Amino acid sequence: MDSSINENPSPTRSRWRKVAYGGMQPGFDDNHTDETFLEAMVMNTNVVKRSMLKVMQDSVSISQYLCIVALVILVWTCTLRSTLNENTLLLLDVSLLGLGFLVLILTAEMMSLNLLFQYFINISFFTTGLYVLAPIYQTLTRSISSDSIWAVTVSLLILHLFLHDYSGSTIRAPGALKNPNLTSCISLNASVVASVFIASRLPSRIQVFAIMLFSLQVFLFAPLVTYCIKKYSFQLHLWFSFGLMVLTLAFVYMLHRLLFVLLLGLLVFVTVVCPYWLIRIQEFKFEINGPWDEAKLCFDITE
Amino acid sequence: MGDQKRHKILMVSDFFYPNFGGVENHIYYLSQCLLKLGHKVVVLTHAYGNRSGVRYMTGGLKVYYIPWKPFLMQNTLPTFYGTLPIMRTILIREKISLVHGHQAFSTLCHEALMHARTMGYKVVFTDHSLYGFADVGSIHMNKVLQFTLADVSQAICVSHTSKENTVLRSGLPPEKVFVIPNAVDTAMFTPAPEKLSHNEIVIIVISRLVYRKGADLLVEVIPEICRLFSNVRFIVGGDGPKRVRLEEMREKNSLQDRVEMLGAVPHARVRSVLISGHIFLNSSLTEAFCIAILEAASCGLLTVSTRVGGVPEVLPDDMIVLAEPDPSDMVRAITKAISILPKIDPQVMHLRMKKLYNWHDVAKRTEIVYDRALGCSNQNLVDRLSRYLPCGGWAGKLFCLVMIIDFLLWRLLQLWQPPEEIEEVPDFSLPNSECPEFKEDGSLSLR
Repeated sequence: MDSSINENPSPTRSRWRKVAYGGMQPGFDDNHTDETFLEAMVMNTNVVKRSMLKVMQDSVSISQYLCIVALVILVWTCTLRSTLNENTLLLLDVSLLGLGFLVLILTAEMMSLNLLFQYFINISFFTTGLYVLAPIYQTLTRSISSDSIWAVTVSLLILHLFLHDYSGSTIRAPGALKNPNLTSCISLNASVVASVFIASRLPSRIQVFAIMLFSLQVFLFAPLVTYCIKKYSFQLHLWFSFGLMVLTLAFVYMLHRLLFVLLLGLLVFVTVVCPYWLIRIQEFKFEINGPWDEAKLCFDITE
Repeated sequence: MGDQKRHKILMVSDFFYPNFGGVENHIYYLSQCLLKLGHKVVVLTHAYGNRSGVRYMTGGLKVYYIPWKPFLMQNTLPTFYGTLPIMRTILIREKISLVHGHQAFSTLCHEALMHARTMGYKVVFTDHSLYGFADVGSIHMNKVLQFTLADVSQAICVSHTSKENTVLRSGLPPEKVFVIPNAVDTAMFTPAPEKLSHNEIVIIVISRLVYRKGADLLVEVIPEICRLFSNVRFIVGGDGPKRVRLEEMREKNSLQDRVEMLGAVPHARVRSVLISGHIFLNSSLTEAFCIAILEAASCGLLTVSTRVGGVPEVLPDDMIVLAEPDPSDMVRAITKAISILPKIDPQVMHLRMKKLYNWHDVAKRTEIVYDRALGCSNQNLVDRLSRYLPCGGWAGKLFCLVMIIDFLLWRLLQLWQPPEEIEEVPDFSLPNSECPEFKEDGSLSLR
């Protein structure tokens, strides 16, 4: 049925060209497909070869943060069981604050007295605010049962861990360029709400204040501090994480056997199984690029 | 004309007039030319505002605006089976022999093709867009397309790049995919009656000012060109979220007297804007075909464009200057275009475009595809299900389920309202109505 269209096929068949203009090409149907079809397609150009060791080292950040959260939960449990009194808690707060600052000062490249003063002012405002609000937190969830609170807290923490930005820190050092993305902000908020819920189960006002200060310090600033350490020296970061893991495991072992096994399993899963898995499934990667892709701009758009 | 050769075609897409764009244009012109070739063409789209029901357009083109509300970007809500009864009634009423769906975004098109296949009609699908393979949206769209194309009789793409893309996305054998480009109504886009002087060079940009159309490239390129050439002026037509950035750029470089921002330009006024310039600049980041380039070339403008998608296939090399989508290369291309500008004669370019692109040619080529589609063998449900099954582990079974339910619903409708009870529309033919825009074409008289 197509021969009717090619009315006079020229004796010397002109070559088929990959063009859209000029109507139907004489001697060729519109569904003509030759060896030039898909020749501009490239496969798997952006695939990175990953080494097991590198991926394992990178996964340490995740296990480290898991341990930090586990430690926070540990402190919460001890406070709720009244094994930690408010003085110890306040001492813990102050020493954590001091240690954090020490790390920031030691690792930061540009630290001026002015900036330090700024930090100090902010923290005193923050602490005063918390102290004033403590009575409100204390009675916030009085009418709700403890089980519900624990259930909500656990789900919030899981959400927090799921969405946490493990590569950087949500709270940025002053002068940082990029804004945190939406998921990491949701994660941070989830952790703050969890802290408020836990604090609201405590009997005394000073305890509420101390536990809130502790949780917020950790959730807001621990990522920043660990990020600073990591940027300063990767070796130090590995050692610090390793120490943190051992410490956490030891504490959890004292608290509960089953939890210890669970945490250990989780850490092994994150640092060994997941990297291995990632490298295995790399083989199945199939990426297609070609002229149909949207062009990427080679410059940054400054809004 | 022999009545047995006459096709009765139903064009389906969410996108039709009064909406405006490449797809709408394509459907309208293709339908007009098919009507001219003696076929019966009916267009099916969703209701636009209170425009609902049946309308007639130029040349007796019947348009059904079915009462479904669009919910996002002129798309109807995907209901899978909601449109089956009305679709079936229209297909029977109009004695349709072939269904032709347009555009992969259009949910109405996907549903229509599904129902048409269930009812045993032959279907043709035209893809007007390009899609990547990386992001979640594309993956979803590609699956939907795979579903629709799994059982399509023939498919049409508007450029070779688009064909490669469609074949990859849908897994259709390449022999089933035809390349039939868009065309341009050269009678509507004629060059300025007298040649513009070359003392001042005007560069025209007409596009929606959005990211995908490369408005950010313009922000980088325009100041650089204005710095290099003191006799160049820009006219930017179009509106969009990136307009603010362009205006900011104009302020910052104090180019208010050299960059004119027109805002949105209605299609009827595009020619009058185009003929006031020498060079047309297209900065798209992705483009399956780009009709705007054709319109500009038909008005005798030299085109400078980014080398993306199907753009390199659209015009012969001496009518277009291509550049990589980065500012420095685009500046180089514009410089080159300005240097070869004295050699360009708009009238000659217009005459060449007349030979290169023609809607009647598009219609005749589409007719061949229809003939092929009707030549395909009929298949029963089981044969057709076996085409859906290999579409993916889960997706294949899901697709089969969707088709089986559609088949059952169709059978139920057959019992409820037998086809004999549906009144058929008498065909009428307009006595030799000449639409003014096609008058000058002599090549039509082969029938």
